[in-house]
Amino acid sequence: MLALLFILFAGLAIGCAVSMVVQRNPLYSAISLIGVFIALACLYVTLAAPFIAAVQVIVYAGAIMVLVVFVIMLLNVEDEERRPLRLRSLIPIAVMLAAALFAEAVFIIFFVQANPKTPAHTVSDIGMTSSIGGGLFTTYLLPFEITSILLLMAIVGAITLARTGGLLSPRAVVVPGAQVFAREMLDREKYIDDLTPVTTHSTEEAEKLLGLEHKDQSPKT
Amino acid sequence: MEDLKHLGLLIIGMLIAFTVVMTMVAYTVLAERRVLGFIQGRLGPNRVGPGGLLQPLADLLKFIFKEDIVPDKSTRFVYFLAPIIATTAALMTMVVYPFGPEVNLPVLGAVRLVIARFDVALLYVLGVTSIGVYGIALAGWSSNNKYSLMGGLRAASQMISYELALGLGLIGVVLQSGTLDLYSIVEQQAGHLGISGWNLIWVQPLGFIIYLIAAIAETNRVPFDLPEAETELVAGFHTEYSAMKFALFFLAEYVNMFTVSMLATTLFLGGWNGPFVHQLPWLGVFYFLGKVCFFLFFYIWLRGTLPRFRFDQLMTFGWKYLVPAAIINIVLTATLQWLGVFDYFSQFLKTSTGWGG
Repeated sequence: MLALLFILFAGLAIGCAVSMVVQRNPLYSAISLIGVFIALACLYVTLAAPFIAAVQVIVYAGAIMVLVVFVIMLLNVEDEERRPLRLRSLIPIAVMLAAALFAEAVFIIFFVQANPKTPAHTVSDIGMTSSIGGGLFTTYLLPFEITSILLLMAIVGAITLARTGGLLSPRAVVVPGAQVFAREMLDREKYIDDLTPVTTHSTEEAEKLLGLEHKDQSPKT
Repeated sequence: MEDLKHLGLLIIGMLIAFTVVMTMVAYTVLAERRVLGFIQGRLGPNRVGPGGLLQPLADLLKFIFKEDIVPDKSTRFVYFLAPIIATTAALMTMVVYPFGPEVNLPVLGAVRLVIARFDVALLYVLGVTSIGVYGIALAGWSSNNKYSLMGGLRAASQMISYELALGLGLIGVVLQSGTLDLYSIVEQQAGHLGISGWNLIWVQPLGFIIYLIAAIAETNRVPFDLPEAETELVAGFHTEYSAMKFALFFLAEYVNMFTVSMLATTLFLGGWNGPFVHQLPWLGVFYFLGKVCFFLFFYIWLRGTLPRFRFDQLMTFGWKYLVPAAIINIVLTATLQWLGVFDYFSQFLKTSTGWGG
């Protein structure tokens, strides 16, 4: 039963992975990648790690890939053209790397089969939420905190880059998709290179940002 | 033999839950139209069957026999995939909700009225819900229509934003009960007469409000229905969908409403708990569905009452008020838990007359 499920989901994962590389439309690639993540999550469940499976779906398939799909939709990317390969010298290196990876996999499989070890816990409570939480906050507290600080640095870096990139005024707040302008409004010459969505609080503010003037504005007193 | 019994129970449970939920969803649509009619001083559909009771059936027949129009320049595969994702993601969460306590069935013996009970049920619900975004976003993209695209983009950004507040709002309950298993969370809410143990009033009032607001936004209902704002976007992400494919989106929206109500009932209103449940276990099912119906009515009531948000208001509200409030709730709950205030309260409130106690 488990073997059947493994073959099903592993096949799905490999199929989606191949499709992700082969597809020319970026959105199809993204959908294939989501398929890979979901198939992997199913494999985690069969390996008695339900927490990792749930987190895999929530974080990768549910959050990161939504952002990727969002960006693809926002930029409305067309099909990539099939170009001839420019760097033909890379092909032998790629083949060698693939062979090395394959050799590693074969080695690990034979090594594990030669030295079978009984797992430390025969009853599999190791994938359960409480044991993972306990481990994170006791034994592995330092790596956990370091990872958190690393992520915080990434956030701060992103904000710094977004603020001083020179695309927007320092007071502008960038929120993905908060304000999507019609293409006709954006196709003015002076704004042709600035398509970053900007949060505005009123139509007047948006028009001011875009350099448009109200033609028949009633005088404000 | 034990495995076979388990499998049989699983299939029967899914069939019954599916039938009950689908029937209730169909009648929610009718109830929405009738209640909205009442709120707006008109009648609503009352011609098909006694009091309009056969209206869902008539609607279904109409959906089936309508012409199915596919836009010429749509991205075919994704266009067909989107409603499937939306409906599947909506229906998948149904299996983890505890519909009732342990009951005695004639042949099968003691059976818990929950289809699948596992360690990470709450995370499973959040994960499957977050997959549901793709249905709407991809529908908007593949229709090759600018209004659809706008609707899809709005849906994606709105759902990412409010998912955070939703998840953070639930952490209070998880801290409180120390488990992600929905069945145990419900069992812990048994109190005096099955009421005093509810998470809602006694321990998680802020979390409940945050969850309720974020859940409305997650299901794209008024006042957060910007992805299908008809005054600006024709019909939003499903502008180009017709016949049964539109019906699937429609179904997904109402099933989502239903599952979100079930989660609110399970986590905050004590699930099946209520007076006399420990004498008559079957009462639990009616309490559970009754509480869910209350939430559904609340949704309809809101729709008849509130106007729609503007998009920047929606984003400001989500990020600047709801998320900080949820974080405050987490810190507050953790501190009170650490100080042992909740234990004192629960000894005070949860007397030994609780279900199973």
